[in-house]
Amino acid sequence: MLLDFDKLGAWKWILSAVCALMALFLLLPILFIVALSFGDSRWLIFPPQNWTLKWYGELFADPRWLAAAWTSARIALIVMVLSVVLGLLASLALTRGTFRGRAVLRAFFLTPMVLPVVIIAVALYAAFLRLGLNGTLAGFVIAHLIVALPFSIITISGALETFDPSIEDAAILCGASPWEARFRVTLPAISHGLFSAAIFSFLISWDEVVLAIFMASPTLQTLPVKVWTTLRQDLTPVIAAASTLLVALTILLMIVAALIRKGKSR
Amino acid sequence: MSSPYLHINGIRKTFGEVVATDHVELEIAEGEFMTFLGPSGSGKSTTLYILAGFQDPTAGDIRLRGRSILQTPSHKRNIGMVFQRYTLFPHLSVGENVAFPLRVRRAPQAEIAAKVRRALSLVRLDGFEDRMPAHMSGGQQQRVALARALVYDPPVLLMDEPLSALDKKLREEIQHEIRRIHQQTGVTILYVTHDQEEALRLSDRIAVFNTGKIEQVGTGPELYASPATHFVADFIGNSAFLAGDLVAIGAGRASLRFADGTVLADIPMHGTGLAGGKAELMLRPERIELTAQPGLSGASLPVTVEDVTFLGNSSTVSARTGWGEVLSVRMNFGHPMMGQVRQGDALHVRWQPQHAHVFAKA
Repeated sequence: MLLDFDKLGAWKWILSAVCALMALFLLLPILFIVALSFGDSRWLIFPPQNWTLKWYGELFADPRWLAAAWTSARIALIVMVLSVVLGLLASLALTRGTFRGRAVLRAFFLTPMVLPVVIIAVALYAAFLRLGLNGTLAGFVIAHLIVALPFSIITISGALETFDPSIEDAAILCGASPWEARFRVTLPAISHGLFSAAIFSFLISWDEVVLAIFMASPTLQTLPVKVWTTLRQDLTPVIAAASTLLVALTILLMIVAALIRKGKSR
Repeated sequence: MSSPYLHINGIRKTFGEVVATDHVELEIAEGEFMTFLGPSGSGKSTTLYILAGFQDPTAGDIRLRGRSILQTPSHKRNIGMVFQRYTLFPHLSVGENVAFPLRVRRAPQAEIAAKVRRALSLVRLDGFEDRMPAHMSGGQQQRVALARALVYDPPVLLMDEPLSALDKKLREEIQHEIRRIHQQTGVTILYVTHDQEEALRLSDRIAVFNTGKIEQVGTGPELYASPATHFVADFIGNSAFLAGDLVAIGAGRASLRFADGTVLADIPMHGTGLAGGKAELMLRPERIELTAQPGLSGASLPVTVEDVTFLGNSSTVSARTGWGEVLSVRMNFGHPMMGQVRQGDALHVRWQPQHAHVFAKA
């Protein structure tokens, strides 16, 4: 290899240091917030003097936080299911279809990834005003689905592209009807792609704040919106506790996604 | 007369303007090993896909035991198929792959277990039930695919270049396996390949495909000894062709004049031609002999040695005729002239007249 790590000499140490700094830079804010959530200072003083679980107690005692978490979870679950189903259908069309304008359609499906979220949010807000969808569960789901779908389509298309359609033909000649072949062979064979798409879709919705702020009403808001609005009123460590739980679930799901990918490549 | 076991009756398939197969007509007997041999794009695979039901013919019919199968969808045709690419279901174990056709047929569990064991034993993969396809070699995967295609006792087994992804040594090994399995099961096999050696090694009969048509059907020795067309002569065996003019024709024999005026008479002729028309003389490399003197019996031509290639058990000599065409002559190891022939030597090529063939040019 041209760039063999072992042959880099002094560069080896410099690169390692840069790498470590990058990791620190990415991780420190999370470590910081986790530490604060267990500190006993009401004023978010770092480093904490004493450790406590009382902010978590306050968090779970407050029905508004629980309601927000429940809203987030419901939205994320619905988005996950719809994103995988629609993503699968769109990916089948994009990878198996032979119609004209396939490349254009694929690019079009992926535009929400590159479009500034704020612009999508403003556009949706204006549209939903007419449709009366602002502040509803459906509004949240549609908004999050728009940003989640491209990830779904990318992962599922990727899995479908590595799946040889001849395998489906083989199943059909073995006596399976075309639908049976798809359900018993194609779907299980691309299940790693479907799982990844599901996890990423869930996380995108679970962590999303910009669209959610536009869609939220005083009675219906997601956990990130609740963090945001609480932050603007007072700087209570309960926010740190909520954030820590949010991050914990995210990291947990990322690990699951990584394990699925590893299991697939083995 | 009873109807043939499998009758491919005038199959024509067009894709827009392109004609993939044109009036393919073939009768296959029960238990026969029939190979479709031809270059890519010759229509052999299209014919197979029509049999499998992946494509519908534009015209023609396919009858199995006298009954048309074209109206039956692929999954109800009960046909077995081994594909060019590895098509094992990646999420299922070897045992479950082979069991799949029986499971979709809702066979009882005990029957499934017994048949899977028997099918795996047939391809010599006993005890591989729990292996995953990803952990097997290409050759093993194709053997599992073969077991999966045979486990439900299909009336016809289709094989679409199943060995093309394997290396030469493994290919020969599995060719032997396929032959053994054919003899053991007596299943009717339609095999597609572009490899003439594979076709000759495996088949009872070979159908040579070219540009959507069958050029000739026959056993390997038949095709080799008396090719019906230039294409068949060229595709099976490495033949030399010398261009000339037809000077006389009669009773399946012809006389041919070459560019330098040499006339060869009384050569077996294939196809129809007119005196004065163009034709080609075909010679198999092992039928020609290099000699220092023109022969007293048989036909001969003076040549100049162009090149000598040593190939182990034989050498190939490229010889140039008086009018500039090149033909190759095979010389087996141990031939008295081996090692003496040098580039630029003036020699003669000699053959028995009945071993040459004349093909009229259209």
